[in-house]
Amino acid sequence: MSPSNKNDQLDLGLRKFIKDLGYIAGGSVLLASTPWLQSCTPEKLEEIKGQKARIAFIGTGSRGVYHIHNLLNIPHAEIVALCDNYPPNLKTASDLCPKAKTYTDYKKMLESKDIDGVIISTPLNWHAPMVLDSLAAGKHTFCEKAMALTMDECKSIYDSYQKTNKVLYFGMQRLFDEKYIKALQMIHSGLIGDIVGMRCHWFRNNDWRRPVPSPELERKINWRLYKESSAGLMTELATHQLEVSNWAMKRIPDSVIGMGDIVFWKDGREVNDSISLTYHYKNNVKTTYETLISNKFNGMGEQVLGNKGTMELAKGQYFFEDAEPAPAILQLINQMESKAFSTVPIAGPSWVPEIATQHKPHYVIDGPISINPGISTTGVDKDGSDLLLSAFCQASITGEKAKNIVEECYCSTVLCLMGNQAIEQQKKIDFPEKYKIPYLNF
Amino acid sequence: MNHPYSNYYEFSSLFHGSLLSIMGTRFDILFVIENKEIGEALWDNIQTELIRLDKLFNRFDTESEVSQINSSAFLSPYIVSSEMWDILLSCKKYHQQTYGLFDITLQNLNRVLLNIKDKSIIFVDKDLHIDFGGYAKGYAIDKIKNILIENNVQNSLVNFGNSSILALGKHPYGDCWSIGIENPYQKGEMLGEYKLKDEALSTSGNMPSNSKHLVNPFTGKFNEEKKMVSIITKDSTDAEVLSTSLMIAQIEKREEILHHFNTSKIFVYNL
Ligand SMILES: NC(=O)c1ccc[n+]([C@@H]2O[C@H](COP(=O)([O-])OP(=O)(O)OC[C@H]3O[C@@H](n4cnc5c(N)ncnc54)[C@H](O)[C@@H]3O)[C@@H](O)[C@H]2O)c1
Repeated sequence: MSPSNKNDQLDLGLRKFIKDLGYIAGGSVLLASTPWLQSCTPEKLEEIKGQKARIAFIGTGSRGVYHIHNLLNIPHAEIVALCDNYPPNLKTASDLCPKAKTYTDYKKMLESKDIDGVIISTPLNWHAPMVLDSLAAGKHTFCEKAMALTMDECKSIYDSYQKTNKVLYFGMQRLFDEKYIKALQMIHSGLIGDIVGMRCHWFRNNDWRRPVPSPELERKINWRLYKESSAGLMTELATHQLEVSNWAMKRIPDSVIGMGDIVFWKDGREVNDSISLTYHYKNNVKTTYETLISNKFNGMGEQVLGNKGTMELAKGQYFFEDAEPAPAILQLINQMESKAFSTVPIAGPSWVPEIATQHKPHYVIDGPISINPGISTTGVDKDGSDLLLSAFCQASITGEKAKNIVEECYCSTVLCLMGNQAIEQQKKIDFPEKYKIPYLNF
Repeated sequence: MNHPYSNYYEFSSLFHGSLLSIMGTRFDILFVIENKEIGEALWDNIQTELIRLDKLFNRFDTESEVSQINSSAFLSPYIVSSEMWDILLSCKKYHQQTYGLFDITLQNLNRVLLNIKDKSIIFVDKDLHIDFGGYAKGYAIDKIKNILIENNVQNSLVNFGNSSILALGKHPYGDCWSIGIENPYQKGEMLGEYKLKDEALSTSGNMPSNSKHLVNPFTGKFNEEKKMVSIITKDSTDAEVLSTSLMIAQIEKREEILHHFNTSKIFVYNL
């Protein structure tokens, strides 16, 4: 496939995706339920046709390069600058985009007037300084999740975002993943009844280490394992899942309890390899969070438990508790929920009832669903990351902020850090007053 | 156990109720209603009515009225409830209008005598019994329709086992309810589409899995033709009676039968 064809495809994918959600002119209720997509509608993309956002990268390690590959397929963006302070990684990136200027000092790069948007994919401890500097330099900014290493840093990012007129995005790709968006709409429309609980888990079986060419690079390359640069499994994995939990519940937990330890990988690392937490919401509904990286049997998953059914978000599947609504009736309901009208094939000679005793899966999306097995530490295809990046590049041209993304990332990051506090202090941690923001709904 | 299920969809103000096991089949209803509580109360009413009717018509339930009749009416008058009386009269009338093809005894309804004085029923042949299989769902839908209208529901779709459908008002985003009909011998093949508005649809036919359920009362034999008949009328009971009768009627007889009914449409599929 030629590159230009690929461009068209991604573009079409995005357009169709947003159209499918019912984004017809006039602003439907559906649009209101996913407000972050309002700034990247197909109509708005059409308005900037032919323009290109000039994008710079800070951090061209594994996630940075993943983004570069995606960005090369986005018609409304070009990569103009690259920065990394680890030469082998900078070279990999530079080989992919030879025209881009290269830097080793990100502050120098931020001085350039020829950059519209900056994409930051560096270790967690660098997120806050880089985001703040980038916004201060007048650049639209995209930073990988989690928001930052400490609650104070999160708060300063949030505060500067209130003051800036620049766009700020975080790498919360589930917000742009079709199967999540559809599933959450179905949940909110009442498909599985009242939400009574949620279970999130992420299991892997590997040491989470990267090979180190020489010992003095250990802390740089394996930054995820040390507390000076990482908050461990919580900020690396749980951020995504706690965000989804809040999205499902339409509220934020008020407290968390739990435990965390190093169970298996006793190799000098400082962060836990086993965590079990319970987040409590004010309506007494709880989300359990479990992660372990020495057994992979359960893989990755987010189950929303309703009194009428269960939604497996990561798989795009749902199950009913007892009685199964007839497929054609379900089709009719889904139709009405998306304001559509068409024929349903229900008439025929008498139906002999088949009372389900087993749980049968139903699918959120017709046709193939791409499922993230949760194994890769870099990212997978078709999980919303490409759309998220495309939306950011679009915003780097229009300057239109995306609703809720910063707030969602703020909340889930603070919740992750609260989880770590609960583990360290061995007690229940309430959402700290000091870090409450107006967006929060407990 | 009827396996009840219900759910309310806020966004489209849609209530969905279903009973997975009622009158030998499955019942689904969708109706548009402003709030969940009103919807639930209405669904309670509907369930109660369906369970009551199941009790009235179920000949496998020894306590049902039809079982009482079947076990007691041979040569000794059995006094029926006033609702059953009206039902029996209407079945007699349908029997005449269909030239004997619609027959709740599946053999000879003329051997059942009704005495208007005390509203009693008598079987004059020993092996007679009554089976409301080709009548009950239509009757039940007419009852449900009244409940819906009394409660000011304007738009609703009722599906009783796929064979009996009521389309009240219209789909919230269309100007009717559009119902497709599938070839039971060819999964996925759509035979037609009916645009229904305040109408009932009844379909009768054989299925690969079930071709021994329609009896011709004159021959006593099952009708096993690969055929399907759909009827659209205002009245669900009429539709129910007609779809069964026309399934077994000779082609020449069809017109004569239809002459007695206010039928809007009839579709015959030879499969
Ligand atoms: N959204 C997702 O699903 C997802 C997936 C993977 C990683 N991530 C996030 O992406 C970020 C990066 O992760 P990664 O796996 O790519 O890590 P990595 O170690 O592979 O890459 C980080 C890069 O940043 C560079 N760097 C570090 N400090 C720097 C500095 N001061 N100036 C310039 N460059 C600097 C490093 O040299 C390295 O090349 C993390 O925040 C991680 O959580 C997100």
